[in-house]
Amino acid sequence: MRRYDEDVVEVVRGPQPGGAGGVYRAFGETLRGLKTTFARILEGPVTVQYPEEKVPVYPRFRGRHKLHRFEDTGLEKCVGCSLCAAACPADCIRVVAAENTPEHRISAGERYAAVYEINMSRCIFCGYCEVACPFDAITMGHDYELSDYNRSDLVFTKEMLLAEPLERTPLRAEGE
Amino acid sequence: MPRPEVRMVTLTIDGREVEAPENSMLVDGAKHGDVEIPVFCYEPKLGPPVGACRMCLVEVEGIPKLQTACSTPVKDGMVVHTQTERVRKAQEAVVEFLLINHPLDCPVCDKGGECPLQDISYGWGGGTSRFIEPKRHFRKPLALSPLVAIDRERCILCYRCVRYSQEIAEDYQLVLLERGAHSYVGTFDSTPYVAPFAGNIIELCPVGALTSRAYRFRARPWDIEAAGSICTLCPAQCNISFTVRDDRVLRVMARDNPDVDDGWLCDKGRFAYQAVHADERVVEPMVREGGTLRPVSWERALDEAAAALSRARGRVGALAGDGATNEEGYLLGRLLREALDCNDLDSRVARGPSRETARALSAPALGATVPDVEFAHAVLVLDCEPMDDMPILDLRIRKGVRRHGMRLVVATSRPSSLDPNAAVSVRFAPGAGEAFLAALDAALAGGDVDSAAGAAGADPAAVRELARLLREAGDDVVVVWGERLTGGPRGEQAARALLNVCARLNLRRDGAGLLEIPSSANGRGLREAGVLPGAGPGWSEAADGRDAAGIARALAGGELGALYLLRTDPVRTHPDRTVWSAALARANAVIAHASVLTEGLLEHATVVFPAESYAEKEGTVTHPDGRVQRLRPAIGRPGGVRAEWQVLADVARRAGLEIALPTGAAATKLLFEAVPFYAGLSLVDLAADGVRWPERDAASALDAPAWEPVELERPPAAPSPNGALRLGTFRPIWAAPEVEVSPALRFLSARARVELSPGDARRLGLASGARVHVSHDGTGVAAEVVVRSDVPAGSAFLHEAQGANALSSGEPRLVEVRPA
Ligand code: SF4
Ligand code: SF4
Ligand code: SF4
Ligand code: SF4
Ligand code: FES
Repeated sequence: MRRYDEDVVEVVRGPQPGGAGGVYRAFGETLRGLKTTFARILEGPVTVQYPEEKVPVYPRFRGRHKLHRFEDTGLEKCVGCSLCAAACPADCIRVVAAENTPEHRISAGERYAAVYEINMSRCIFCGYCEVACPFDAITMGHDYELSDYNRSDLVFTKEMLLAEPLERTPLRAEGE
Repeated sequence: MPRPEVRMVTLTIDGREVEAPENSMLVDGAKHGDVEIPVFCYEPKLGPPVGACRMCLVEVEGIPKLQTACSTPVKDGMVVHTQTERVRKAQEAVVEFLLINHPLDCPVCDKGGECPLQDISYGWGGGTSRFIEPKRHFRKPLALSPLVAIDRERCILCYRCVRYSQEIAEDYQLVLLERGAHSYVGTFDSTPYVAPFAGNIIELCPVGALTSRAYRFRARPWDIEAAGSICTLCPAQCNISFTVRDDRVLRVMARDNPDVDDGWLCDKGRFAYQAVHADERVVEPMVREGGTLRPVSWERALDEAAAALSRARGRVGALAGDGATNEEGYLLGRLLREALDCNDLDSRVARGPSRETARALSAPALGATVPDVEFAHAVLVLDCEPMDDMPILDLRIRKGVRRHGMRLVVATSRPSSLDPNAAVSVRFAPGAGEAFLAALDAALAGGDVDSAAGAAGADPAAVRELARLLREAGDDVVVVWGERLTGGPRGEQAARALLNVCARLNLRRDGAGLLEIPSSANGRGLREAGVLPGAGPGWSEAADGRDAAGIARALAGGELGALYLLRTDPVRTHPDRTVWSAALARANAVIAHASVLTEGLLEHATVVFPAESYAEKEGTVTHPDGRVQRLRPAIGRPGGVRAEWQVLADVARRAGLEIALPTGAAATKLLFEAVPFYAGLSLVDLAADGVRWPERDAASALDAPAWEPVELERPPAAPSPNGALRLGTFRPIWAAPEVEVSPALRFLSARARVELSPGDARRLGLASGARVHVSHDGTGVAAEVVVRSDVPAGSAFLHEAQGANALSSGEPRLVEVRPA
């Protein structure tokens, strides 16, 4: 049988304060804290009334991704090369490519992304996918309102990423 | 030529002393000192280097100019530098040069991520290009064949694919057309490059110029996993690696094993993986109800099967075929022999020689290995067509002839694709293998050649010439022969004649011997596991039973009541299709393991268990040269598919056999214990390259005494045509259900064709492409005529596909061919 007594470690505590010290801790310290509270009382509230109010984000804020199309031809910029998936440290992008045919042309290159999914519940918004993309097909948008009731709804499909985002987030103006 | 002896030499590479085998090239020698020299065109599998790309330049002391390391052999005392400024400049220049016309469209290129050009540009290139002129453009991608896409812009003109076609596959189709920057790879007249081994160029191409049309864009290297296993689509049992993404097999690649496949695959092996995910695949157990097969629960299917078998106790036959593992064969044997008191089981399509003779034929001392074929002094290809029966062996034979000066002699009834490489080719009448061997035996022993050669329909002078060549070529002679030679009622006599020939040539030695090509993928393993009438596991003695043909007759005659089919459909694969159809129709129960419902099963099976594909299987198989190889599951089983060893054990248990099998490995263990010469093998030892059991000590369990030549019976004479034609049948490489259900390969699926000599075709007023009716005694099949100039007059060769096995019977036959 193993004995556990020797594993017991004595917890060393500091000395208990005496009578005067105890009184100071109860009142003096509390007053010291309240000083800060009263000093700010005149400034008025700084709390943002989210979701009625929203904090504007900087232009380079990394929010929900967007996939892009060419403006002139309407073709998808993404060619399904999977480089973003390779770069992603959270392993949350899944690309399944397929071949374009003259009758069924989706992107400008030989291949296109038949499936393009980002699992937003795993994404750490590092932006590596944007850096990896050789065609600027994917960029980080500004939307940060991504909560949902269902985890599976957080897997964004190609259609969702290609659609115009709702732009619910105000952008900080120059110099703001 | 026997294997050369390897001597080691010492040289200095980048200041390191390196020991390397003499005559190896610097690139390979450098690897012994962990020095990497970049290469594009160099590929040792393709034979002597050509030095086309200049990527491998290195500095050798004493030679003023830079040398190509891929074509400079190592020498004692050589001093080599691979890291000097001069070498670096040269490497950068070569990369820049190769990229001048290369589109660098990696994002859309299927090779991206596994591309030597990417790796080498990144590792040895300069990073920038001074070339601002427009690049050369071609239309792309084009179909080089229905299986391979070619992107000419990406080609770096390394010649690998062309050399492969010219020197390895020897189909002489791919060439480099035009000159200079306008050179491109193609076939001379732009016909699609379709050949049994064409797919290998996909793996060879160091850039994305040649890509698989079946795999294109399916996945990137970081999306996939590789799973090593064995291809069980033919007896060659090549070592392969499945590319798996999301539990689906997307590609099959070679897993180099010089003792088995030399790193090549045939196109069936490369593309028929699609059958694994085909819609036609059976994934649920089925039971026949009211005339049609309906999906049912496993419990119900197992109960019905067991009940039907128990009802027919003592009157059950069984066949095992393609892709069945040794374990399954062993369990099938126990189910039949122990649980059902039956001895009628067979894994061969026709009766083979007696147990003693068969043991003598598979004696370890008499067995040749696959590499022996390459290094032998002479190889006799006897009554088989390696290209169709064991494709990868065809490449090995060609390699032996081309690179090692091996002398090839061919003795077949059908003209062989190896004829152009052969020193002597002898033709004999279809089915007259025994008579030919008797003639050869007489020629080797100095007896009367003429009468036996006459019976074989062969030219006596050619037989003598062949015998002389085999005698004089050298000591190492390998005989590659097909199972059909010793099949049928006279199999025993043919086997004896073959053993006589072996004894006269003294083939019981290392580097020489016999290599039999069985008719099913794991034919050898199934026999050794005891799926034979009259022979139990390890060729042990067992009560005699009926062979496949006997089972068919007994079923049709009502003596047998039930049939168990382990991965085979005799209506499709066995001779005498009509007899088999009648037999299956008469049987009370036909229980089958199948992944595709082929015609016989569709009509007659009463219980169908879904069979695993080779990508899902675990177990062992035995290569024709005795190498026990291990199958490992690459993906999960789809739908309700269960492991077949488990199904067999479940049926056996319900039929009253006490057998506890918790895992597949337990089944393997039982097998290794039951077969004396597998004793002591373990799955771990088999893990990488398999183990050849004839080389182990336990092999002595099968040792047979050296064969003393016996007096041969007079072989029956081949029927003389007399206006009709002698029928020869053979199974083309593409005649497989896997080919038919693989979308990529479907265009190749075998059709019933009949090959005629030009003379016979003229006499019958037929030309290539004509539809004809080939018949014998009232049974006939429709076929398409192919006129081949090398077919001997008086013979017709029928491709066994689309029901053409209705005409074959295992005995020589005459047929009539008339326009349909
Ligand atoms: S932002 Fe980072 S974590 Fe998110 S998808 Fe892109 S690469 Fe992956
Ligand atoms: S988004 Fe860009 S990197 Fe990702 S697959 Fe598409 S093209 Fe490639
Ligand atoms: S197609 Fe590929 S293998 Fe053939 S020459 Fe061009 S780069 Fe080499
Ligand atoms: S030769 Fe046979 S074993 Fe090899 S890949 Fe082809 S089918 Fe498979
Ligand atoms: S690898 Fe040496 S020249 Fe191509």
